[in-house]
Amino acid sequence: MTKQQIDCELALRQILEYVDHELGEHDHSLMEQHLRTCKSCFSRMEFERRLKRKVGELREDEVPSPLSERIKGLLKSF
Amino acid sequence: MAVSRKVFEEQVLGLLGSLQGVARRLTRNDADAEDLVAETVARAWRALDSLASEAAFRAWIFRILNNTFISDLRRADARPRLDSIECEDEDAEGGDFSIFEQMHQPFLLWFSNPEQEFLDKLLREDLDRALVALPDCYRVVVILSDLEEFSYPEIAATLEIPIGTVRSRLARARSALQKALWQQAQAYGLTNAVAARSECAPLETEAQQRGATARLARGDKGSVR
Repeated sequence: MTKQQIDCELALRQILEYVDHELGEHDHSLMEQHLRTCKSCFSRMEFERRLKRKVGELREDEVPSPLSERIKGLLKSF
Repeated sequence: MAVSRKVFEEQVLGLLGSLQGVARRLTRNDADAEDLVAETVARAWRALDSLASEAAFRAWIFRILNNTFISDLRRADARPRLDSIECEDEDAEGGDFSIFEQMHQPFLLWFSNPEQEFLDKLLREDLDRALVALPDCYRVVVILSDLEEFSYPEIAATLEIPIGTVRSRLARARSALQKALWQQAQAYGLTNAVAARSECAPLETEAQQRGATARLARGDKGSVR
């Protein structure tokens, strides 16, 4: 059986879904195989992954105390 | 009712940081964000019968948050902001601006990497400014995907759009974000500085790179070229 491969054009079209862990198992595996052999697509993927991580670091978990008190009061009133 | 009052309270308090963070980025204002979260929680309690299961809670309450935000804008007749929420180019392909494509130089020395250097120099404020400047419909998908780590199906359920639209909207949103970052960097002269340093590195073919890497691995002395 011939081993299936994807080209750079398809890899680039799917690169964001790969970075978002949204590719199905088969497509994910084909993408990994392509990235192992294509330096240019691998660099692009690394760039997108690092940028996504940097954007994710903007997340703030801390809840301002006045909001926390307000919501607790609201929940009690239901 | 899919969840008890106790579970509702636990879920709300557990998601409060995320709700407040998303609300603040939608409203661009701390006071409005607090009002939006409070209104969302009140509406969610009244609509509890519409929650299908506890597992669906997160997408369900963020959908209420997003819809509350939009209805508040409609009430205020905030036309420019409403235009910004409605993405009209749903069928178009993803965005095509890429910082990587602007900066990547495949024949540079293997240790020179201008696009990664660009990322190293990006400050939190730069990213925040670029994100805040995005149209609402783009900003919300980036926030849900990259900050809140929602899956595509969760984003689709939250925004009540097909998964294909999530995919194309995210592509366009990230393209717009990169364009904004690129323009900021150009204004600071950052892109020129990174490019100038890259030009100092001599050109090299991939075959030469492989040879250099092999020589280094063998521990050869002298020039790697």
